[in-house]
Amino acid sequence: MTERSTTKKSNYSRRDALRLMAIGGAAGLFAPNLLGKPAFAQNPPASPTGRVVVGLSQEPTVFNPLMPHIEADEAVHFSVFDALVRMDPKGVLQPNLVVEVPSQKNGGISEDGLVWRIRLRDDVRWHDGKPFTAEDVKFTLELITNPKFRAWRTAGHSLVRDIKVVSPTELTWRMEEAFAPYQSFLAETFMVPKHILEKEADPNAAAFNQAPVGTGAFKWAQRVAGDHIELVANADYAGEGPYLERLVFKYIPDMTVLYTQFKSGDIDLVDQAFITADHYAEASQLSDRMVKLEPGASVESIYLNLEKPQFKDPAVRQALYAAMDRKSILEALYYGIHKPTETFMPQNSYYYNPNLPAQEFNLERAGQILDEAGWVPGADGIRAKDGVRLSFANSTTSGNHLREQTQQFLQQTFAEIGVEMTISNLPAAVMWGDFWLKSQFESAISGVTNVIAGDPDVSNRLHTKAIVAKGGKGSNTGQYSNPEVDALLEKGARTFDREQRRAIYLRVQEIVRQDLPFLPLFAYTNVFGRKQGLEGFEANSNTRVASWHAAEWHWKD
Amino acid sequence: MTALAANAGPTRWWRSRTVRRFTSHHLALLGVAMITFLTLACVFGPHLLPYDSLYIDLRARFSPPLTGYHYLGTDPLGRDVAARLLMAGRTSLLVAFFAMLLSTLIGTLVGVIAGYRGGWIGAALMRTVDGFLSFPSIFLLLALAAALKPSPAMVTVIVAVTSWMEVARIVEAEVRSLREREFVLAGRMLGLSGAHIMFREILPNAMGPIIVAATLTVAHAILLEAYISFLGYGIQPPLPSWGNMLEGAQQYLDSAPWLAIIPGAAITMAVTSFNFIGDGLRDALDVRDDHV
Amino acid sequence: MRGFLLNRLSQSLILLLIVSVIGFFVLNLLPGGPLAQFGLDPSMTQDDLDRLKEQLGLNRPLLMQYLDWAWRLLQGDWGHSFRDGAPVLAVIGRHVFATLLLMGSSTAIAIAIGTWIGIRGATHRYSLFDYMATVGAMVALSIPTFWFGLVGIYIFSLQLGWLPAGNMYTIGDGSVLNYLHHLILPSIVLSLVHVAIWSRYMRSATLDAISQDFVKTARAKGLSERRVIMKHVVGNALLPMITLAGVQLPSILTGALVTETVFTWPGMGRLFLDSLGYSDYPVVMGLLMFSAILVILGNLIADIAVALVDPRIRLG
Repeated sequence: MTERSTTKKSNYSRRDALRLMAIGGAAGLFAPNLLGKPAFAQNPPASPTGRVVVGLSQEPTVFNPLMPHIEADEAVHFSVFDALVRMDPKGVLQPNLVVEVPSQKNGGISEDGLVWRIRLRDDVRWHDGKPFTAEDVKFTLELITNPKFRAWRTAGHSLVRDIKVVSPTELTWRMEEAFAPYQSFLAETFMVPKHILEKEADPNAAAFNQAPVGTGAFKWAQRVAGDHIELVANADYAGEGPYLERLVFKYIPDMTVLYTQFKSGDIDLVDQAFITADHYAEASQLSDRMVKLEPGASVESIYLNLEKPQFKDPAVRQALYAAMDRKSILEALYYGIHKPTETFMPQNSYYYNPNLPAQEFNLERAGQILDEAGWVPGADGIRAKDGVRLSFANSTTSGNHLREQTQQFLQQTFAEIGVEMTISNLPAAVMWGDFWLKSQFESAISGVTNVIAGDPDVSNRLHTKAIVAKGGKGSNTGQYSNPEVDALLEKGARTFDREQRRAIYLRVQEIVRQDLPFLPLFAYTNVFGRKQGLEGFEANSNTRVASWHAAEWHWKD
Repeated sequence: MTALAANAGPTRWWRSRTVRRFTSHHLALLGVAMITFLTLACVFGPHLLPYDSLYIDLRARFSPPLTGYHYLGTDPLGRDVAARLLMAGRTSLLVAFFAMLLSTLIGTLVGVIAGYRGGWIGAALMRTVDGFLSFPSIFLLLALAAALKPSPAMVTVIVAVTSWMEVARIVEAEVRSLREREFVLAGRMLGLSGAHIMFREILPNAMGPIIVAATLTVAHAILLEAYISFLGYGIQPPLPSWGNMLEGAQQYLDSAPWLAIIPGAAITMAVTSFNFIGDGLRDALDVRDDHV
Repeated sequence: MRGFLLNRLSQSLILLLIVSVIGFFVLNLLPGGPLAQFGLDPSMTQDDLDRLKEQLGLNRPLLMQYLDWAWRLLQGDWGHSFRDGAPVLAVIGRHVFATLLLMGSSTAIAIAIGTWIGIRGATHRYSLFDYMATVGAMVALSIPTFWFGLVGIYIFSLQLGWLPAGNMYTIGDGSVLNYLHHLILPSIVLSLVHVAIWSRYMRSATLDAISQDFVKTARAKGLSERRVIMKHVVGNALLPMITLAGVQLPSILTGALVTETVFTWPGMGRLFLDSLGYSDYPVVMGLLMFSAILVILGNLIADIAVALVDPRIRLG
């Protein structure tokens, strides 16, 4: 444990400086692609050398990738395990354990979308040396739907029937109904070894869960609970890389300390939840550090519970939206790093609709809308209509001070148009439980990722059948219901063609922008930071972590 | 046969030994002076300052102390820290004061009954006290804060519910020792009811330790409120309290250290004052020094 | 003695019962729960959450859940963490070292400095030193620990850059020096309150001892004042300190909680806060029981120490 020299000192050269300037000018959006794969694969070391310490603000604790977990856990999963396919930064699926990505064009998926045929690589081995085969895939998919197993998501997997192993490198299955998002879901379905887990009486308590064995670029070494996890290079990795000898995930619960340690050099790369906005300006001035803005997948919005009488009137939603001084909030409170947005779709998604009407902050207009709709100020200055006072509570996680600042700022501007907003924040474990899921809130501020593994299907968030409070299954907690959107979402989930899907989801965004079931505040931009000289790194907003492909990372000589 | 009678005797109360002892206790007087100053500042100060504690001005955010009329600087929303500090003082001191009243009431009630009745009732009550004391106080604080909507009244209840046990213990011990005294036995022989003996005869004689414990409870309550609000579970914004002014201050420790230093200094000052006063009262009222 | 122990044992069991019942029901009656952390996960549907609730046994009646938990505990099974599925004792065990290290070093500081201040204050009663020590102790007891930690970080880490702002060690550097470097600030912050308490106790214990007859005799025999103090007074005053140590035993868990949070120290206090945040009931319950056992042990040690010191008190 005393390898002081393993973290390479990066030499700051003129060339680096020039390149940094070039990239900085190109602003995060397409910068990673500028480098392109050949550019950074040019001179990785012949054998794995050096070590990278990744800082995480949540502690990875779940190492069976099929069990319920949080973002931070995926940083480890992506490095220890492989999925059948991999979602690249552009949102295009690439083969990983498969020879080619199954599609309707190559016959991997039947025309009706019901029969899937998967062909696997034949050169993949588990970390313990056993070969990886179609049996493992079958085992993994069946384990997920095993009622005794505490699986993470089962969406999509629950539709899979009749898995048949044709040969060690080929298998087929049938889907109960056509479900296009399943392609993307497979990019987050990591394969687990049958030969280890089938012996376990209780897969939930298997020793494997504390010392995982995968096929990934890094092997499990050790975990110091509450502190860090150490992985070592898998010399027999079938894919490209790894070029690092060691990969360490360090848990630092405080975001400021996380940044401080990045600044001091204790951490080579900042992963979830990245560098905080208030440190961006300082961080971008640091020498020997690459600090870049990368668009994220989450959208921060004010969710309105549409079943509350205050919010049923579309005029109220429009007026509130017009009364939001998003520019001030973004520039002052969030240091201008996040981007205003009009939709739930991530801005660098292929399915993003850039042609939506832009919100305009105008208190006069907001008051006018309310006047016209018949909401008139009462004796206390608060507007009311038909006995309904335009007053509501706003909730979010207590202790999230940026959101608390936003709330207090909005409170002041809303008051100017005769709308009363009170603040009622709750601890995370209370806020996001039944209070949120069963729509017990009045309004809430929440940063939500709407797409799963880059797939644009948002039925879970916006379909009428996803309203739990009305007996549905999903997380349409604002209780939005629009038959036209429902129909479009159903069609989108059955459609495999990228172009056709795009048209569908562009239209969905148009309708939702009009209906305003939630009021978008901004689209998250993540501040990525890493040491100069750490190459092969690429941001990918289709994954939830920065460490989605550590196999290609390496230190510059 | 009451505490006052015993202490005051025929002389005027302000000439009593208790008062003389207290006024000769320099620290206690300092404590009284500091807390009087703080209270007056919190009551009248906000009216004298040019800014309202809730007025948001994003252009003036993070002004360091002594910027224009922002004597103590501004916070991340550009609100005046001095105005907020004084308004927060109102919240924190009121919460602490009422929490003290409530917890002293609960603690005294439990302590008197347990000490006087003894037997299985006493044992059951005192084991419950032990049970409450065995919990890390943060557990009860956070659990209650999660279950109840954190309004100032609720925060008061939460603080009280987690700090009555010490009073109960002190009162129980005191009552147990008074139970066998002549005046109590006399009362029993006269056929006075249990409640009468407990609250009219014994309680006044146990007032000394209760007053001392109550004073120290105010100090404790200020710290507890600060603690839960610091963790984000206490007094909710925009209403300021000393604790929630500290919430998030760690993030700005490097760029705006006054956000952390000023409210913490106010808390320390208030708590120290009450501890000084408690110490003086302990000497003046002849309370045994069992507790530090 | 035997009667005392039996009585103590039965009382301890009742206490554990009370703590476990209150803890369990309070925890489970809180809104939210262990699945709330997936409330924002786009890929978890209500179906998944219902299924997990069923699989974790959380939809059974509360009393059943409690009895099940208690029955397993009696058999030595503390359950498994909801978060990582590891046995609760293993989860707690992983955090014990960090807390012991921090508590140990701060207690050492507290005893060393507190004892010195206490004895000096007692032997130089009403001196300027004594007065300052009294005032200092009361001020120290009034400072919010988390705030003191923040001020410490501001001065020594951010302004002077002498000490690290957090963590137990730098990754890749497991040397003792590195640990010590990280240990300085949190253990000083944590010891502040303890120095205050120890010095007050030591002062009054020493004063008590000085007024005893044997000290007067020793003085009369012409022993030097220093010898009298060191041999007779301190020896006698130290015993009550064991009582204090016993009473303070439970603070191993809670005393370090705030400090561990401020200094991102990977100990049990932070485990407790994290587990509470994730509603990881088995771990929280385990820590509550652990803390209750420490309370019982601490009181026992204190009582025995008192009995040993003071022959007038008989255990029974």
